[in-house]
Amino acid sequence: MATAYLLLAPATVLLLGMLAYPLGWEVWISFTDFSPLNDHGPRFVGLENYRHLLADAEFWRAVVVTVGFAAATTLAKLALGVAFALLLARPFRGRTLVFLAIFLPWAYPASVSVIGWYWTLSPPIPTAYSPFMGTLKYTVDGALGGGAWAFLSVTLFNIWRGSSFIGVFLLAGINAVPPELFECALLESRSAWRRFWLVTVPLLRPFLALAVFLSLTTAFADLANVWLLTAGRVVFPVVGTQAYWLAIKGGQFGPASALSLMLVPFLLAVLALLFRAFDPPSEARA
Amino acid sequence: MAQVLLKDLNKKYDEVHAVKDVNLHIRDKEFIVLVGPSGCGKSTTLRMVAGLEEITAGEIAIGDRVVNDLPPKDRDIAMVFQNYALYPHMTVYDNMAFGLKMRKFPKAEIQKRVQDAAEILGIQELLKRKPRQLSGGQRQRVAVGRAIVRHPQVFLFDEPLSNLDAKLRVQMRVELKRLHDRLETTAIYVTHDQVEAMTLGDRVVVMKDGWIQQVGEPLELYTKPSNRFVAGFIGSPAMNFVDVGIQGGDSSLTAQGTGIRLAIPPVNASQLGPYKGQRVTLGIRPEDLHIAAGGDQAGYVFDAVVDVVEPLGSEILLDVKAGPNSLVARVEPTVRLKVHDGVRLAVNPDRLHFFDMTSEKAI
Repeated sequence: MATAYLLLAPATVLLLGMLAYPLGWEVWISFTDFSPLNDHGPRFVGLENYRHLLADAEFWRAVVVTVGFAAATTLAKLALGVAFALLLARPFRGRTLVFLAIFLPWAYPASVSVIGWYWTLSPPIPTAYSPFMGTLKYTVDGALGGGAWAFLSVTLFNIWRGSSFIGVFLLAGINAVPPELFECALLESRSAWRRFWLVTVPLLRPFLALAVFLSLTTAFADLANVWLLTAGRVVFPVVGTQAYWLAIKGGQFGPASALSLMLVPFLLAVLALLFRAFDPPSEARA
Repeated sequence: MAQVLLKDLNKKYDEVHAVKDVNLHIRDKEFIVLVGPSGCGKSTTLRMVAGLEEITAGEIAIGDRVVNDLPPKDRDIAMVFQNYALYPHMTVYDNMAFGLKMRKFPKAEIQKRVQDAAEILGIQELLKRKPRQLSGGQRQRVAVGRAIVRHPQVFLFDEPLSNLDAKLRVQMRVELKRLHDRLETTAIYVTHDQVEAMTLGDRVVVMKDGWIQQVGEPLELYTKPSNRFVAGFIGSPAMNFVDVGIQGGDSSLTAQGTGIRLAIPPVNASQLGPYKGQRVTLGIRPEDLHIAAGGDQAGYVFDAVVDVVEPLGSEILLDVKAGPNSLVARVEPTVRLKVHDGVRLAVNPDRLHFFDMTSEKAI
């Protein structure tokens, strides 16, 4: 027993030090006015930071953008991912090439992908293509307001990379299902649509739930890609960029912590529901 | 209920010619078994009947309809898969009702049919359970139930008992046979197990390398195998084969092998006449060998040495060596012999088999 705890100690230290402590510290800071700009140390201010946020229109705008961003990208990634997986699940000529093409966006490191994406949208070399992309940008910004193009590009980038991952992930899910289960449905119905909803989706439910789980967590935490793509010229702030701005640029650690923690309870509730879907409580076996 | 006709049926994959010129007339209400080693084309043939594999050439008719271009759903068949293919997210009831639901049957009709099938199979108490809460035998019953509720013209079974343990397999085999007697639906059953084939089939189709080797009633296959492959495949322990040369004068022939010399019985003499001076394969079933006694004619006995003794209780399997030939004899459980004992064996002269060396066909 003692040996077991001894062997677990490094992992425990790592977990406590790298996850629990910073999280606890952030929660504590969110109840203070901590800032390097103050002469004094962190002072407890209770729920002041949270109260302030709830009254702040900018905060609500960031919430709407974040939730919209997460929902839209997740839906799009799921739809594309399922399509990719179904496409790749059956053999056809050139399947390997298609598989590579679908998988590559995710296989590249984010920073490289971002540059590739950035150059796709604003080409580094002037060709006939560059004015076209320029026109596109001004059309979108003109119609939806400045910064819309940048945000759209972040959204598309997230979908581009994410659907690649979800596609491959769901393909593994489909391959894990015995083919007879699909064949059995084929014997009963001609409609691919009915078979998809009555058989494929329920069989893939755990994988779909996990895909949504991963997609939501990454979308909510997606600070890096937004920042990388818009280089700080954030016109449509998400909670992540807003908190980053507030803390790193503004030195307002207390309010920034409160801001970044604000959506966590809701996210956790959604994730708990999803978790039940991909890891249901086991039923009694025969 | 319907007959099934397979006409010049062929299946080619890129490299593999899996099914070759299969012609078969499956009669109405017949229980027919396709049997053969893995890769013989039996499952592919079944899947072509189901519509899960495309037909490369030839024709399949169910009843009086050619079904080549019909989707599986419209062929009026129901299939039972080896791994049961039950949906893990559905209850037993929903699994059994699945096909009818997909076909949009009215609820009351579905319920009646599922209840009836559950009663026939004795699984009424399991209807609310999920497949994972069932034992292998119960899952198999549910899979069969799902086929029964469809009231199809033809049942297709793809090795349905292969995932069960030996004891359960024997039990389910009997149940399937009883079920077929009761429902009288045409059934095509694929297995690699010759015992299953012999016990279940009204007729058995033996396949190898995509070709049909022989079609016949179980006992016909056993007593009159048309070639060496069928002779060796049907029956357990398998038939003994010995290479012999046919020798002799006008009145009598002998089969001379290394370490074995046997007279050719008069029943075989006329067919073997043309083989005089040539080599053929002699086949002897283990039960057609016994310890020689006074009544055995001198021409039908040979000497051997006991190599292994396998007592099975009801009988003893004697593995013996006669020269370089290994043979198995099925003898009385009272026989007392040890390894390396010499033994004089006699054959049953009415039941010898001879096969052409090159064509492997029965002579």
